[in-house]
Amino acid sequence: MMLSRKFLCSTALAVLLTGTANAEVTVLGWPGGPEETALRAVTEIYNAKADLADEDKVELLFTSRDGFFDKLQVDLAAGSTAFDANLIATYSIGRYAPFLEPITLSDEAGSVFGDTVLSTMQFDGAQYGVPTDLSLHFLYFRKDLIDALMADDAARTLYGDISEKYLGERLAPKNPEEWTWRDFAANALYFSQSVNPDSPTRYGTVIQMKNLLFNMMVFHSLPRSYGANWMDNDGNITVDSEAYRNTLELAKMLYDAGATPPDSTSYEYAEANAAYSAGQVAAMVQWNAAASDLVGAQPETVTQAPPTGPDGRFTHIHGLGLGLNAAAENKEGARAFLQWLSTEEAALAYARADGAPGLTPATAGKLAEERPDLVQVGDYASNYGFVMNGGTSENALSVYEAQAKEFTGYWAGTQSLDEAMSNISASMTELLK
Amino acid sequence: MRLLPSQENAILASPMVLFLLALLGFPVVLSIVYGFSEASFQSLMSPKLIGFANFQLVLQDSAFWDAAWFSLRFGLITALLECVLGLFLAVYLAPLIRENGWMVAVLIIPMIVAPAMIGLMYRLVLHEFAGPVPYYFYEWLGWSPSFLSTGMVFKTIVVAETLQWTPFAFLLFLTAYQAIPQDIREAASVDGTRPWRMFWKIELPQMMPTLFVAGFIRFIDGFRVFDNIYTLVGAGPGGSTTSMSIYIYETFLRRGEIGKAMAAAILLFVVAFAILALGQSLMRRRR
Repeated sequence: MMLSRKFLCSTALAVLLTGTANAEVTVLGWPGGPEETALRAVTEIYNAKADLADEDKVELLFTSRDGFFDKLQVDLAAGSTAFDANLIATYSIGRYAPFLEPITLSDEAGSVFGDTVLSTMQFDGAQYGVPTDLSLHFLYFRKDLIDALMADDAARTLYGDISEKYLGERLAPKNPEEWTWRDFAANALYFSQSVNPDSPTRYGTVIQMKNLLFNMMVFHSLPRSYGANWMDNDGNITVDSEAYRNTLELAKMLYDAGATPPDSTSYEYAEANAAYSAGQVAAMVQWNAAASDLVGAQPETVTQAPPTGPDGRFTHIHGLGLGLNAAAENKEGARAFLQWLSTEEAALAYARADGAPGLTPATAGKLAEERPDLVQVGDYASNYGFVMNGGTSENALSVYEAQAKEFTGYWAGTQSLDEAMSNISASMTELLK
Repeated sequence: MRLLPSQENAILASPMVLFLLALLGFPVVLSIVYGFSEASFQSLMSPKLIGFANFQLVLQDSAFWDAAWFSLRFGLITALLECVLGLFLAVYLAPLIRENGWMVAVLIIPMIVAPAMIGLMYRLVLHEFAGPVPYYFYEWLGWSPSFLSTGMVFKTIVVAETLQWTPFAFLLFLTAYQAIPQDIREAASVDGTRPWRMFWKIELPQMMPTLFVAGFIRFIDGFRVFDNIYTLVGAGPGGSTTSMSIYIYETFLRRGEIGKAMAAAILLFVVAFAILALGQSLMRRRR
């Protein structure tokens, strides 16, 4: 009798403990970068709250960054219960939406993040995630080189000659704050030794031209400033446009002229940063996440918003965030955590721990001394941020993939512009129908 | 009761057969089901049978034929280069290795490295601004080839694959070369046979079965190449370095066309199996 009572008690305890373990909120985060550090920091704050029940404490789960979204897709499609909340990105929300549930943010979310940033986590009018990190583009340039160019009359004349030869119009050197994309191109040509053998840098710019979807995001701030979009408001595919054609030709001209390294067709983020850091590139457009590496890498590196075009100045934006797994075992606990993450308290803590949330000027102002870069990010996101029509759709990732294949093929000379345009129009019509 | 040799063989092989069935059988069956179904990540749990439609889609896809052509070229060229180099090394170094057996361990080191790591290593080594190879080109010649540019990338990945897997062919050829009875060589020498004729008329014919097997294995391996190319240059500009395996991977995970990807995988399997059967039949005829 004694034995069976002991057995019953220990079994009950074991069941209770198991239940507790299962009831914890498990969050699958973006591993191995500042996003992980920041998420760990805010999770500690959340778990330390006195009124938080043990079963709602948050436990973090990280896998490898390589192929993360492919693995996540398989996990979600298989109805995995290994995590309650998981990382999502603007370009993958549509694909994952069938396996996610919409969430409710805190009342202060609008004033903390602003509508543009919140929209990066929306699909079909529903809020699928709380934004954590915001990615957009900066123009990085060597101020010392530009200053020297502007102060030298002979250099200014040569700059005009080069722009006339390659761009068909005589341009004068300008401060990068005033640059159009054609000024950017003229500057890239002037600082390339293949065009100007006396250039202090080997290349004027570095364009990431590898057949990779993220490279298309970096590129399409340029066509957007010429008025490009994926679809019009009636859902017609508008990729075969003067805006796309002119800007693809501009990039190819720079590649063919040697203004970007010949290996650029195999370059992505790391390779492009290495080129700039080596001191052989005068200016480049790159993700804001590279600021900490690039600003100190070369003397007087300055960041600002990408150049402007006939339709204005634009920067691609996308957000990383956390969404709710539809197969979650502890949905309520996960909802509570995600809602708390959208408060000012959580957003400021996340930013202080090296995260990069997109904050409104009022919220970012509270961190002006600690994180001045976030003020710039918030400013650019609010004023120049855009998401292409269809950019959060179910097949947005596949659209980027298709563009990467066709556009890089054109740049590398494996197909003509007409072929690339015809192929991408057909692919996008199929993907976005 | 005494068992027949065939019964004994069946009993002895059964644990391995059961193990393989358990380990490989389920994914294979699943792949076949998906290959004949309309399946995406949304309908993963409820695939709808559609007959041969996926196969038709694959065969009409120009990207599939581009990938097949790439794989065929890559497989043939690398297999040929690896066998020629491996044979040369085996014959040339055999006397040296007879005295210094440890050299074999050094020569086969590239085989030990994971192909994905090889891709990453070359990505660094060949980078114009961070890699040692372009650095020394610039240092000594003031110029460097762009190893990963469109015009060069195929040659670069062929060289990378050849450097990694020549040791495999070398190892097989060395074993075959050393297994040739010494008395045959001695008899030929007594008859006044010169070294080149000895190699061409006596040693090479003795090594032919090994040469065939090595070439065949390397062709299959080259044909299904994935890791090193994908980590080095991905699918290439305009899909120019898309092998069959990369095509299947991208169709499956990037485009979410699971049925089509599985149909392509089944076609790849059928082709590989046909080549294997042909190879075995040729081997039997030689014997």
